[in-house]
Amino acid sequence: MSDTRPQGQPDEAMVDLLIKQVTEGLSPAEQRALDVMDSELASAYLRDLERAAAAVTLAGSTGEAPLSAALSARIAQQAAQHFASASHVADLSEARTAAAEKARVHGSPAPGRAKRFGGYGWLAAAACLVLAIFGWERSPPPVPPVAVVTPAPVIVPPARPAPPTAAEERATLLAKTDSLKIPLGATKDPAAAGVTGDVVWDPVTQRGFLHFAGLAPNDPAMHQYQIWIFDAGRDKRYPVDGGVFDVPANSSEVVIPIRASLMVRKPAAFAVTLEKPGGVVVSGREHVVALGATS
Amino acid sequence: MSSSVLQRIASGDSAAVRECIDQYGPLVWSIARRFSRTPSDAEDATQEIFLDIWRSASRFDASQGSDKVFIAMIARRRLIDRLRKTSAEPPMDPVEVLETVAWADPGTASETSIEAEQAARALAELRPEQRQVLELGLLHGLSQSEIAARLSMPLGTVKSFMRRGLIKVREFMNVDAEGVLSEG
Repeated sequence: MSDTRPQGQPDEAMVDLLIKQVTEGLSPAEQRALDVMDSELASAYLRDLERAAAAVTLAGSTGEAPLSAALSARIAQQAAQHFASASHVADLSEARTAAAEKARVHGSPAPGRAKRFGGYGWLAAAACLVLAIFGWERSPPPVPPVAVVTPAPVIVPPARPAPPTAAEERATLLAKTDSLKIPLGATKDPAAAGVTGDVVWDPVTQRGFLHFAGLAPNDPAMHQYQIWIFDAGRDKRYPVDGGVFDVPANSSEVVIPIRASLMVRKPAAFAVTLEKPGGVVVSGREHVVALGATS
Repeated sequence: MSSSVLQRIASGDSAAVRECIDQYGPLVWSIARRFSRTPSDAEDATQEIFLDIWRSASRFDASQGSDKVFIAMIARRRLIDRLRKTSAEPPMDPVEVLETVAWADPGTASETSIEAEQAARALAELRPEQRQVLELGLLHGLSQSEIAARLSMPLGTVKSFMRRGLIKVREFMNVDAEGVLSEG
């Protein structure tokens, strides 16, 4: 094992924060305090403390109880879906790069494919596994004697539906009774001239969308828009980061998903600022381009 | 040298997924159960942890530790994240009875993993009240304030015990790793 540890020892304040991170997690203010410390040293020390905490967890995990068959089956099913999806994505890029090769060698299967997660084959195998587990757990009822002969089912790979667009997801969210719709007003910032929009937010699922018309296109190499959520339960100096986004040139309307970095208990207001590429941890609020309050 | 189950998952071996669930499901479940208020919460947490395992398998580095410690790390991260998200809920009843932990014997813990053996040896050198702080914080997911309330102990003492305990375990693990390297 090569030792690539940074030199130096973390100070007491850093160790305290790292131990809290490993044992119970950090508050946003504590996270910000850690973010300004030596990141290389902090991350090396954090890795050691996480390993130590995991080792203590293992030392105290004697006499483990088995997973229930139903939970085990759900995990297997979830794994099947996860890898089928991952495989589908991999297959798409692999198919593109391998197209020329396939044209040259007709009918030759790609080497190693049998061992890879073949999308539908693996999905089908996992489905059989789920059925086998449930079938084993619960005896099937006796089959009544019938004389009807049904043709063997033709197995057709399920068509993969196109994922919904952000606009469609926003419409679905808007239809929910729990969701909030908050109008966004333009500010005096030059980028905000003529902006109209709204926010749709679901406090239950913590999902939401911004909808804008007239927001000036940005150059992502220079600036990006950043979403902020003011939570009535938190210090208003530190709103929750809702993610960064870009407005392409020639787009009249945009719908942007909000990616709240923390749980928002009681949304009081939403704001959009213009920041450096990648966004910031705490906004200087020099360029607030849209603002909307819940009441 | 045979690959670890996580390395096999990362390389696309579908059989390794079932093996991982069978081999590490009881460990993940037992950790999740201790950190969760209800069995239903523990089931949700267990599913989320395994999803994290599938996503992270390619980042596993066998030179940094065993499969088991990597999985325990992922489980702890997810459970702490869940605890923080539910921190608005009332804290645990201070007199609520928590399942007592049977620490692994330092002499036999190596059957579990080398890291558990190292931790058990470090824990054996701590005073009982120090071990109790680590048990409540690391195995039951109590915050340092909750531990202080439960043990009627000043918060500063809890922080100090947690810090010294974790640092001692870390030292045992690093010393052992260095010892193995120098022997090699």
